[in-house]
Amino acid sequence: MNPGVFIQGWKQMVPLLRKELLEAWRDRRALIMAVSFSLMFPVMLAGGTTFMVKKQSEEVTKVALLGAERAPLIRERLTSPNLDVTSLDEGEPRALLAGNYDVVLVFSEDFSRRYQDFRAPQIYLYVNSSESTSGRAQRDVQERLGALQQLVVTQRLAARGVAPRTLAPWRVETRDVSTPSSRGALILATVPGLLIMTLFVACLSTAVDSSAGERERLSLEPLLLQPLAGWQIIAAKTIAVASLGWLGSLLAIGALIALMPVMPLTELGIQRATTVSGVIAMGLIMLPLALLVAVLQILLALRSHSFKDAQTQLSIFQILPLVMLMMLDIAQVKLAESWQLLPLVGHQQWLKGLLIGDPVSAAWMLSGSLVTLALVAAAVMMGARALRRESLLSAS
Amino acid sequence: MIRVDKLCKSFGGQPVLRNLSFEVPDGRITALLGANGAGKTSCLRIVCGLLQADSGQVLVGGADPATDPMAVRRQLGVVGDREGLYERLTVREYLTVFAQMQGLSGAVLQEALDAVRDELELDGLWNRRTRGFSQGERMKVSLARALVHRPQHLILDEPTRGLDVLAVRLLRKTLLRLRAAGTTILFSSHVMPEVAELSDRVLVMAAGQIVGAGTPEQLAAETGCHSLEDSFVALAYGQRPVAVQTQGEPA
Repeated sequence: MNPGVFIQGWKQMVPLLRKELLEAWRDRRALIMAVSFSLMFPVMLAGGTTFMVKKQSEEVTKVALLGAERAPLIRERLTSPNLDVTSLDEGEPRALLAGNYDVVLVFSEDFSRRYQDFRAPQIYLYVNSSESTSGRAQRDVQERLGALQQLVVTQRLAARGVAPRTLAPWRVETRDVSTPSSRGALILATVPGLLIMTLFVACLSTAVDSSAGERERLSLEPLLLQPLAGWQIIAAKTIAVASLGWLGSLLAIGALIALMPVMPLTELGIQRATTVSGVIAMGLIMLPLALLVAVLQILLALRSHSFKDAQTQLSIFQILPLVMLMMLDIAQVKLAESWQLLPLVGHQQWLKGLLIGDPVSAAWMLSGSLVTLALVAAAVMMGARALRRESLLSAS
Repeated sequence: MIRVDKLCKSFGGQPVLRNLSFEVPDGRITALLGANGAGKTSCLRIVCGLLQADSGQVLVGGADPATDPMAVRRQLGVVGDREGLYERLTVREYLTVFAQMQGLSGAVLQEALDAVRDELELDGLWNRRTRGFSQGERMKVSLARALVHRPQHLILDEPTRGLDVLAVRLLRKTLLRLRAAGTTILFSSHVMPEVAELSDRVLVMAAGQIVGAGTPEQLAAETGCHSLEDSFVALAYGQRPVAVQTQGEPA
């Protein structure tokens, strides 16, 4: 296309763009949806991380002992940094588990006698496996009891002149390598996906309204009768829809940055945070993506039979790319650098890096954004062709 | 002038227009009269460039909508059947957008807006958003949109559908004024009194073809009928008028 003609085309498009922007920004329902979703997820993320850190600090198993006077060794030595042990004179295990305790240990009536006679007395370990913490609590108590058992066996063998090593050819020690840092990284890995989802949600309502809605309200036909090319109509609609989507993602980024000081990032092992230039870069890379999401949603909505049909199709459409991103994350696929040219995949990687202050290649961001813009241009031309479909007029 | 020559159009193998040919002269009101499904709307949409004909040619002021749609759209004002407005825009904003899309700006734009506001009595609606407008108010705004850029050709599809008497009178007054100014007007309708009262020339359409053309009087003379309705039935369906016998009158 001749550059002069192209510039003239953009100038002709200005009144339509103004109309599309006015309509989009006066649609209270779309605006509320965009703003509320954009603010909701950073608030939920801040709440979630705070809750997680609080829960980590409370990761102490509370153990109740019933009949512990019959097992003084266990009563005295069961306590450890992650076991809070309380001896009770009486109580019912189920009631205690329903209350504050994670595990209840009950020592049999004949515990002392059988222990002295070396006849393996019974200890009953009560847990409520429907509780999410029961597995960890049970494991902690069993590990500690096993260690005590080993101690007693060692003493008994030593008293009989047998080297304990004879009965223990090896020792197994479990080491949990899950650190607060790795858990924090897991949380932050979800943020790019959520930011991209914000974009999809914020665009959705306006995309449907300006295409399928306009067709259903029979106001598309007068527009098609104006001396404007199809690409000008689609481009104006795309910019208007993308403006709301971009606003949504900027709000979400802003809210996320604003909430970072109150989020327990240090406790989660995240030492670095994004910089001002990182925030600006995040905002800029979301702009081409907003345009791409907007034009694809418009294309899909134009193919729908009705407003409701468009809403359903777009709701499904916004799930697919997010599922793809999640699967890539879960599968921990190591992608070549050139994958950054692919929209969404590149955006996810850049956002992740920018959020935690990791270096992100400006060259890849620029070239990936250019690829996204090229796809926007191709989709606009496809939209222009879609406007020539006779079935578009059938609603009237 | 609008010239339609041997126009053919099918939808899903079903012919809608069959070798349709007619002319609409400047400074005249021409009515396309036909029953529902006769092909009126399809014909008008091809004239506007919204639909592509299978064969045949249309010329609007010398421009072919199939090859030069922009030239046609610049000299055309269209009021569609049951068309919607932009409900979040005021009437002034709505008309401004369409006038600007037609290339009007500055003082010319303001002058055009003032003119349609006065001609179509839009003062009371001017700064109101169009949501909740009555059918008559919607028609006035649509007509203003079609006229704001002063097109040489005006096309109206069933313009009086659902309008009250005052709105019809305003529409009639506007069309007569435009005719006097030399505008080429083509409108479709199936309402006989409206066609009889407004049109200088009637094109009777049936099954995608023109089956009769002329003034209402010429059509009546041609068919030997006394009214346009009878002439239409005779031309479109080949039925002679039925003599209605009322009580006390001789048959």
